Formats: sequence, structure tokens, C-alpha cells
Amino acid sequence: MRRLLSHRHAPALLFAAALTLPFVARAIEFSFLTRVGGVVGLMMLLSLGLNMTLGYVGLFDLGFIAFYAVGAYGTAILMRAHVPAPLAAALAVAAALAMRALLGVTILRLRGDYLAVVTMGFGEIARLTLNNLDAWTNGPKGLQVRPWRPLAFLGAIPGLEFVRKESNVQFYFLIAAAVYLAAEASRRLENSRVGRAWVAIREDETAAQLSGIPVARYKLLAFTLSAAFAGLAGSLFALWDQFVTPESFVFWESTLLVAIVVLGGMGSISGVLLGALLLGGIPLLMEATLSPRLIDYRYLFFGLILVLMTLFRPQGLLPSARREAELSS
Amino acid sequence: MSAPLLSVEDLSQHFGGLKAVEGVTLSVSRGEIVSVIGPNGAGKTTFFNVLTGVYPGTRGRVSFDGEPIRGLAPHEIVARGVSRTFQNIRLFADMSAAENVMVGRHARTRQLLLGPLLRTKAFLEEEKAVEARAVELLDFVGLRSLGNERARNLPYGAQRRLEIARALAAEPKLLILDEPTAGMNPVESAELVSLVRRVRERGVTVLLIEHQMRVVLDVSDRVAVFDYGVKIAEGAPRAVMADPRVIEAYLGREGA
Repeated sequence: MRRLLSHRHAPALLFAAALTLPFVARAIEFSFLTRVGGVVGLMMLLSLGLNMTLGYVGLFDLGFIAFYAVGAYGTAILMRAHVPAPLAAALAVAAALAMRALLGVTILRLRGDYLAVVTMGFGEIARLTLNNLDAWTNGPKGLQVRPWRPLAFLGAIPGLEFVRKESNVQFYFLIAAAVYLAAEASRRLENSRVGRAWVAIREDETAAQLSGIPVARYKLLAFTLSAAFAGLAGSLFALWDQFVTPESFVFWESTLLVAIVVLGGMGSISGVLLGALLLGGIPLLMEATLSPRLIDYRYLFFGLILVLMTLFRPQGLLPSARREAELSS
Repeated sequence: MSAPLLSVEDLSQHFGGLKAVEGVTLSVSRGEIVSVIGPNGAGKTTFFNVLTGVYPGTRGRVSFDGEPIRGLAPHEIVARGVSRTFQNIRLFADMSAAENVMVGRHARTRQLLLGPLLRTKAFLEEEKAVEARAVELLDFVGLRSLGNERARNLPYGAQRRLEIARALAAEPKLLILDEPTAGMNPVESAELVSLVRRVRERGVTVLLIEHQMRVVLDVSDRVAVFDYGVKIAEGAPRAVMADPRVIEAYLGREGA
């Protein structure tokens, strides 16, 4: 498994395999699968974002979902102002980055548990603001977003006619591409001066500082950049669902993301993607397939998995592999 | 005689009423190996912590290479050419040995986000140079074959040497070693002495805290003795060790 995943072409092959999902779903007449795939993809994007702060730098963030909300609401509000969708998405991502930087400047002096508590508070404040800022967000009633069909042109290709009408399929492709790019960007940063500095800070902040790394600046950089993935995920979510309400951005979602990163393996891209697939996908599939009586127990299973993981595999499902240096002369 | 590389004048570090370091004056010339010795709690590590920017210092002057450095952030002091190791080993445990050394290269490299994201030529060249430098330094401290091991899995002595390689990666003019032989057996200590000499041959000046008198005598050009935060003696190793004040600091007064 490890060797397979570290192969040079593994990411591209996995991406290609993922692209076949809508066709499989169509073949087995279970179109809900494509929707599950899209939701899992959004989870993956969010988890890759959180992986940058929690995974690489070790900053505990229990309010990450707030920046998903900024992306989603930013896009919704801009779409209502008749901004073209791609521009709305770009601006929403920029807004998420800006807010994240602002938050980071004020709270990153805190460490460990204190940081976790403050970010948790921020997440709740964000949700309450969305709930109460009626003039902008329409409160708990939520905002409608005008439809956007990004990949309708694919319908012109023979064999892909069905894509023209299916927004689920279009957004699935779009989200898959975003996940691929986010994973590739993470991988490139991880194996660079910046990525090494981040991991060094996680491993030993004092030693990192005394090895020449301006720790505060690098923490802020990771903290801020992670919001790009969250903002993008939120934006795609708003455009896809055409509806946003504060209900989508509850504390539980932030907790779930932390669980995904820890379960998958802190700082491990493949681990985080697998974690998102399992923790994001399984509950949804359970909802679709289990009898209503069992659905109520799904979080019980979920908790059990987490407890077992911490006991038997605390380093995560796929712990990060370190890059090999060329040692022969 | 040229100006000293490091010149400390009347340096103090107080913590509330505790005078951890009080009025220390010390200078280190280029190419020297200077040891700081003294009983536990004498303020040696605190002194090193002020030099490297961990503590700001309460009073006094520290100038390095002709420029004042007291109160600068640790990473700025590294950039000016002072690197250090730690009394309790502080490696990046989950990174490979080679990566630990590559992190040490931070202050001497430039690439930020766009380089790695677009994999520009400048980035790839810098990465290659960083890796080559890491391999060279691993070789220098005798750890080349262990380069891809995680730091946490290295034997104790190797971890100490890896810390030195990481510190050297920043191309310091002054290397500060905080008890480099702590926990080592005599054979390992002797190896470390020869490593410190070879560090000097690279043109790096060395300031170290040391407890093993064998090592102090073997390696130092000069010795400074601390007691209760104050420098009580300084000079050639053998002369200092015969100094009654030094013997008193370690063993107490005769007949007391």
C-alpha cells in the first residue's frame, strides 16, 4: 500500500479513477453515489486545508468550518449581486484568506489547548453572526443562489450528453479537480523549505526558532493559506447546492475535520484523503442504505472507530512518509 | 590583534529577584574554542540563552562580529552567524536525519511559496543544493549512512552529532554547544572532542558548556568559570583548574 501510494504516478492514477465514479453510479443506477462523491470531495478539500495548520504545524483549530462558511456565504452574497460565478468564487476565497490572516495575527500567540478553545469560540461566533446578520445573510432562513452549470459544455461530447443536465456530475468533476490541485499543491509545499519549516515547528518550536525559522511568521502563513482550501470548498458548496444556511456550519463539522486529520495521519496527504473518504463517506452511505432504526446509532459506530484508532494506531491510518534523500555519492 | 568575534560586556539576566547571570564579561576570538564551566545552576545555560536570543537579557552589551545582537529574535541571531545545540537534545524527531539538517539551512535559503508551487528552476536548484549540503554535513559528522532514518530512531550519540550538523547547516561563524558530551561514555566523548576540533578547522569558532574535565582540558584554548551567575575565573584550562576560587566553587571551602 505504502509503496503503491508513493509511486510517482499514483496521484494522477487515483484522480483518473475518481473521475469514473459518475459513470459507475449511472451504470448501477445509484446516482446518489455521485452526490456522496462530491460531498466527500468537499470534505477532502477542507481536510487538506486543516492538514496545513493542524497536520504540518500542529496548531489545533476547532473552528475551521467558519472559513468554509465565509467561502459559501461570500459566494452566495456575490452571486446575488450578479457577479459572475468564477469571480464570486475567487473573491470569496480572498475574503476567507483575509479573515483568516486577521484572526491569525490576533490569536496565534496562543498555544495548544488555548488556541483550540479560542478557535472553537470563533467558529461559534461566525455561525451566530450568520444566524443574526439578517440584512446580509437572511438569518436562519438562508440564502438562495442562482444556478450555475459550469461544465454544461461537456454535454456536447458524444457519450456525455447526460452531463448537460446533471449538476451533481458537473460539480463532482469540478470538486475532483479542485481536490487534485489542492493535494498537489500541498505535496509541493510539503517537500520544500516552507513545508520543512512547518513540520519543524510542530516537532519542536524552540529548536525551530533557534535553527533560524521565524516561527510566528511561518505559523501565520500556514494558518492563512489553509483558508484558501476551506474558502474554495465553501464556494463550490454554495454554487452546487444553490442554498446556504447557518446550519451547515456547526461545531460538529469542525470536530469531524479534526478527526479526519488525526485519523488519517497528521501531515500525511494520502492519510487525510483516506480519512475524509471514510469519515465523510461512510455516514452518508449509512444514511442512504441503513434502516432508519440503525441510522440513529451511526455516531456511536463513529466514536467507536475513533477510540479504537487512538488505542491501536495513534499515528494515523497512513502516517506521513518522509522524503528520502539521495545519499550515495 | 583583530577585534573579537563575540564580545560580551557586563551582561545580566534577572528573573524577578533571581540574578541568573550577573555582570558577565567575556570575549571570544575568531578560531578559538572556549569552554564555560561551573557547578549546576551557575547560569551557564541562561548565559547561552541570552546570547542566542531565547532571553532578552536585562542589562549589558553583546556584540557579534562588530554588531550589537542582544535583544534580537533568535532567527535573526542565527542569520548573523550564531548557531547552537541544546543540553537536552531537541531534534525534529519525526523528520529524517537529512531533513533535520535541511531545516538548519533555512536562514541561508530564500524560496517561499511560488518557487515550490510552480517548481521553478531556481527552486529546484536551491533544493538540490540544500540536499547536497545536508549530505555533506551528515558525512562530516559521520551519519551519512543514517540520513534517511527518522531522528527519533537514531542512537543517542548520533542524535548529539546530528544536532551539530543541523547547527552547522546555517553556516555559523560561532557554534555554541550546550553540554555536547552529556550522557556520553569516554569513547564517545573522545570522538566528540575530535569532531569539535574538526569544526574549528572549518573556520568555525566554538563556545561550549562542558562538565567532563577531561574534555575541557583536551579541547579548550580558554576556560571561563561561572558560579552563582558570576564569572569567577578565566584563563588557560590548567591554570583555571588550579585556581582556589574554582576549587572552592566545585568542592566548597576546606574545613568549612
